[in-house]
Amino acid sequence: MGGIQKKKFERGSATNYITRNKARKKLQLSLPDFRRLCILKGIYPHEPKHKKKVNKGSTAPRTFYLLKDIRFLLHEPIVGKFRDYKVFVRKLKKAYGKTEWSTVERLRENKPTYKLDHVIKERYPTFIDALRDIDDALCMCFLFSTFARTGKCHVQTIQLCRRLTVEWMNYVIASRALRKVFISIKGLYYQAEVMGQLVTWLVPYQFSHDHPTDVDYRVMATFTELYTTLLGFVNFRLYHSLNLLYPPKLDSKAVSELKEDNEDDYAMNSECYIEKLSALSASLARVVSTAEEEEAELDQFPVDGEDMEKMEAREKEQKWQEAQKKLFEGLKIFLNREVPRESLAFVIRCFGGNVSWDKSVCIGSTYEVTDETITHHIVDRPSIDKQYINRYYIQPQWVYDCVNAKILLPVEDYFLGVTLPPHLSPFVEEKDGDYIPPEKLKIMALQRGEKPAHEQEEDSEEEDEQSEDEEDEDDEEEVDEEEDAEEENLKKMEEQKSRGKSPQVKVTPGKVKVENPARLEQEEKAEEKRLAIMMMNKKEKYLYDKIMFGKKRKVREANKLAAKRKAYDNAEKAKKKKTRK
Amino acid sequence: MHHRLACNKHHQKKTKKKKRIMAAARRLKRVIASQPGFLNLKSTSDPADLVSSRRKRVNKNKKKNWNKHSDINDVEEFLEDVRLQERTTGGLLSEKSDDSLFFLDIGQPKKTEETAEPVERKRKKKASRPLRIDLILQHDSLVPPPKDVLAYQQPNAKKIRRIAQKAEQLAAKGVVPRRQKQLLKRRPVAKTTKKAVTEANNNPDREYYDIWGLETKDSGDPWYLQQTGKKLVKRPERLNEKPSVLPAVEVIAPGGSYNPDIFSHQALLQEAHEVEVKKQKEEDKIERQLAVNKADTATEETIFREQVEGLVEEENEEETVHNEDEEDVAVGGIALGEKKTERQRKREKAVRIKEQQRLAERRQTGQRQQLFQLRSIKVSIRQQEQKTKAKQKQRKAKQEAQKAQPRRLGRLKFQAPDLEVQLSDELAGTLRRLKPEGSVAKDRFKSLQKRNLIEPRERAKFKRRYKLKYVEKRAFREIT
Repeated sequence: MGGIQKKKFERGSATNYITRNKARKKLQLSLPDFRRLCILKGIYPHEPKHKKKVNKGSTAPRTFYLLKDIRFLLHEPIVGKFRDYKVFVRKLKKAYGKTEWSTVERLRENKPTYKLDHVIKERYPTFIDALRDIDDALCMCFLFSTFARTGKCHVQTIQLCRRLTVEWMNYVIASRALRKVFISIKGLYYQAEVMGQLVTWLVPYQFSHDHPTDVDYRVMATFTELYTTLLGFVNFRLYHSLNLLYPPKLDSKAVSELKEDNEDDYAMNSECYIEKLSALSASLARVVSTAEEEEAELDQFPVDGEDMEKMEAREKEQKWQEAQKKLFEGLKIFLNREVPRESLAFVIRCFGGNVSWDKSVCIGSTYEVTDETITHHIVDRPSIDKQYINRYYIQPQWVYDCVNAKILLPVEDYFLGVTLPPHLSPFVEEKDGDYIPPEKLKIMALQRGEKPAHEQEEDSEEEDEQSEDEEDEDDEEEVDEEEDAEEENLKKMEEQKSRGKSPQVKVTPGKVKVENPARLEQEEKAEEKRLAIMMMNKKEKYLYDKIMFGKKRKVREANKLAAKRKAYDNAEKAKKKKTRK
Repeated sequence: MHHRLACNKHHQKKTKKKKRIMAAARRLKRVIASQPGFLNLKSTSDPADLVSSRRKRVNKNKKKNWNKHSDINDVEEFLEDVRLQERTTGGLLSEKSDDSLFFLDIGQPKKTEETAEPVERKRKKKASRPLRIDLILQHDSLVPPPKDVLAYQQPNAKKIRRIAQKAEQLAAKGVVPRRQKQLLKRRPVAKTTKKAVTEANNNPDREYYDIWGLETKDSGDPWYLQQTGKKLVKRPERLNEKPSVLPAVEVIAPGGSYNPDIFSHQALLQEAHEVEVKKQKEEDKIERQLAVNKADTATEETIFREQVEGLVEEENEEETVHNEDEEDVAVGGIALGEKKTERQRKREKAVRIKEQQRLAERRQTGQRQQLFQLRSIKVSIRQQEQKTKAKQKQRKAKQEAQKAQPRRLGRLKFQAPDLEVQLSDELAGTLRRLKPEGSVAKDRFKSLQKRNLIEPRERAKFKRRYKLKYVEKRAFREIT
């Protein structure tokens, strides 16, 4: 028990942390400046494990930073700039007070500014690092670019955000990177695959100007300041990876096409070009102009057996993906004036479609409504006066659903005035055993290339309905057929599921068709599995049973939901019939 | 004196000049008057008037008298007349041709032509007629203004021409003058500094470059760079970890689609409902805690009892007295103690030693016995290890789960935003009629908080430094 008595809070976690106020004082910055610096440098507050120890015995809630982080901040050159700025403001105030306008002007000219380039380089040492963190940047830039220029933030920031987002969208179009779109009540979610990274971002609807008061816009602006710098550098790199010019230039061919005589109606000459770029209707100029992109074939290596199969599967996958990228190729789509132009133009162009709109809606339209070669006309109103025979009039959801389903869906469900099928979220990935809504099942079947028989009939009937007057009996038949088919479908599904998982497959040898080799094979597999189960030791068996029980429960729940859905559909149909009668 | 002399001289010169002019004018007058077509506009300059006034005898050998007494009225009048003619007609009337002075009077022009298009013409007239202000300001003399000779002259023209010639020669040789050379030297430096200063971070036309492709240029000695603060300090690896495992963009549940599947929509509604119920429960709990207890309210009885307290004698005084007695006894018990005898102490010591021996022996036998229990010991050890392992795993799992949770970073806790939900009747069937729910700005802000990037804060309240003091103005007070 000898020696000098240890003082409390002089070692251990108490010395590893520093409170925010102390850190601020150490850096000689005001609180807003300190906050900005922390955001820019990526230094975040930390929650200590033992607050009382760190807080020198007090339990008052405080914000703590790691001391080493703050020491690191001391070396930042931006700190000096912040101090300069403080002095600048003080001088400016003084000059104003004395009404020395020449001094004010001189000071304004020499306003201290700073660059964030070194911060970007430091925080994201490689390009891939930056790309992984681009989600936030995109969301923020898209958000700020929709702000009205009313003084919530600098107009310049808004313009820069707009420019960067347009560049990004043009890149996604040029690289055909878009994968998923989801129209939610909050905004539009997009997902693209850029250099192997999945990038998700959220775009607010165009005219939803609601500035919530509990959002700290100063903090948001600081984040945006950082993210605009980041996004700019990322864009530069991405454009160069595709041999595109940066800053983006329109293709010379496109420029001549877009040349209109009433350009002046839309924008000033200086803004005209960026407006045309943001119209998204024309392709970009390349550094080396290549007429056709050669399709790179996968390198082939001599492989054997299992690898060969994998190889083939991969090749198939790739071909499938390539086909997806050309989903809308060859289609000529016209947007009516009430549909969200920018979003649709972006999505359609991402998959190679041609798109245009009315001249008075926006700059950059490429063809008129009267063009005879238009294949699809996107309309979002119950009826339209003048209809052309040789084109489909469809609702905008068709485009998004096609993108998510990765195939061109039948247009019948999306005609004018038709109640739309639900817009399913592409971000949900069902594991096997989960409940899958019937609409998704239908899409999956279509993806596999099947076209269910009853559906074809339905189609024909629908066509009949269009041509002739409807008959109740006919309708009833249709309903019955549909139900039957659905039941069958469900049964099939369940069978598949049970075949895959449950150990008690009821296979009666009498009913098996011997000539079916696939069936035989399956049987064999099931037998093998059963044997394997028998061979398990107690512990493994316990675990296995547990897993199987969980799976079965899931299936049961899914089935319950499916049954519920069927009941609901029936009820709906009955109601409809009643109303019709 | 000298000055006056100069003045005098000047005056003389002037008079001389005048005389000369007068002489010329007289000559002109005579000449013109002798001509048959000359018309005098003013008839006041009659020679008879001059004659009628009495003549004064004056010596004309002095220049002073010349000025004083010679009559120049006629000349001046004549000149005035000439000027008037020039001003109004642009020349002498006598020199004008007859056509320009006279016209043939053929009576009133016919009015029928005018009435054919009176309205139009009037309007045209009105439009073409100049403004009155312009008419006033117009130069109304017909004599052209004199040429300003100075306007055509250039001071030092000869010198300038010579310099220009020389510069041309030098330029042909390729020699740049010193002045220009200095300017050229200065320009690039000034330009770059200016640009660096003025370009703000959010300049919409700012330029970007390949920041990752460029190799950092190691200019100079690393020691020097470090000592002068020009080298950036390396960022610690720890800072590149994200403070939360949550993704930057959390996609809304499938029920949040603008045209959702019924079940997913119902599921989302259920979730939102549960959140609301929880909130309601908490609120109710607080309300219940804050509610006034019925038993605590004053009834007539309690009020009465309070009023008579101390006035009525209590019966339980005896009891308290009794208690006091007991306490006295206990205190006395502690104080009392009997002294042990020698014998007693020895016996106690012997007992103690014996007990210790017994325990030691027991321990030894136990250890010996453990040899035979090795197996069960092993089992117990293994069990314990398993238990710790399980606990470790649990702790780790808990930590992992904690990583996705928002931390407590300041005074306030993170408040999850309300779920965005549209009820079934609010759902729009088409994209056109969709009403956006929630705000993306808020979503982003909350996401930043949720990922522990910023601490939750509430808006700073405005604090008044001095109290407000209301004073009625006198004018206002008079009215009220």
